[in-house]
Amino acid sequence: MSKELKNITDNIMDQIHEKKIKMRPKAYFILGSILTFVGLVSSVVISIFLFGFIRFSLRTHGPMASYRLDQILSNFPWWAPVLAIVGLVMGIWLLRKYDFSFKVNFKIVIIGFILAVIVGGWVMDSIGLNDVLIRRGPMQGIMRQYMQDNNIQGEQGSGSGWGRNLTHSNINDTFHIDSEVPNL
Amino acid sequence: MSETLELIDEEIVEKVRSGDHDFYSVIIERYKDKLLRYATNLVHDNDKASHIVQDSLIKAYINLYGFNIKKKFSNWIYRIVHNEAMNMVKKYKNEVPILDDFDFESDEYILKEFEERETKIYVEKCLKSIPIIYSEPLSLYYLDDKSYEEISDILRIPMGTVAIRMSRAKKLMKYICQKN
Repeated sequence: MSKELKNITDNIMDQIHEKKIKMRPKAYFILGSILTFVGLVSSVVISIFLFGFIRFSLRTHGPMASYRLDQILSNFPWWAPVLAIVGLVMGIWLLRKYDFSFKVNFKIVIIGFILAVIVGGWVMDSIGLNDVLIRRGPMQGIMRQYMQDNNIQGEQGSGSGWGRNLTHSNINDTFHIDSEVPNL
Repeated sequence: MSETLELIDEEIVEKVRSGDHDFYSVIIERYKDKLLRYATNLVHDNDKASHIVQDSLIKAYINLYGFNIKKKFSNWIYRIVHNEAMNMVKKYKNEVPILDDFDFESDEYILKEFEERETKIYVEKCLKSIPIIYSEPLSLYYLDDKSYEEISDILRIPMGTVAIRMSRAKKLMKYICQKN
């Protein structure tokens, strides 16, 4: 046994008495837990929103999507999937900090988490919950900006998801699904 | 002092948290030898293991409010040592670990003690020969008397994984030790 270990008690207790080492306050850990939880919830919400947003932006290019690949490539908001993936990774990383996470096979946790986010995004989009977010939610700025940038006009409150009733008025674009002008 | 000896770890932690800092020395005395053995089995170097144990006990003190009093302190402190040891292993992964010679405290030792010591060295050599993911649960189970559930808590892996690693570790130990 090394001499250092023989004196370990004295070393540590001396540092405690001399206040060289101090306990972190309880508030530090409470705040850390709250922030972790908020971060986890936020990353899930952002991921779900962005998955819904990706579905919406794909749909704005009409039912003949395969013929409009160039438009998708030029207009598609590539930052959305990047942010969605970052949100997912953040969520998974934060989930690992929770005590229960190691008791479940982590591959199952990751697959379950990703599936939950994708299904959540699809359900939100299908039931039209995203419309509420466009009107009232914190993401309304992103949607408005995207619709303005791409000359997309959509009817709100139809309960059928983003872009179900919309008008796409690009110069070279001729399809019209619905011509009602929304009150965005 | 006898009252202190009867206190369980979590009660002592509660006392330290409430301001009786001297009680932390009881925790250190209770764990330093066990933790040193555990850390030595991970890093195969007594000096590095001493550093790991000291740093872990300091980290545990600093983060004492982060410990959930409803859980076992023992698992928590072992987890901290595990993390510190893994950091050390990553830092010195290119170095070949050399186990320090064991000092005999007395010239008068009986044959049984010698055999036990030889067996211990032999087992440690075998443990060194197998990958850390297998040697660690084995060492926790047999040398530190931890249950599968406790090992699962310390290593943050599911109980099923602990069982699988234990089974593979036993097979590896048998193969390597018999070969030697």
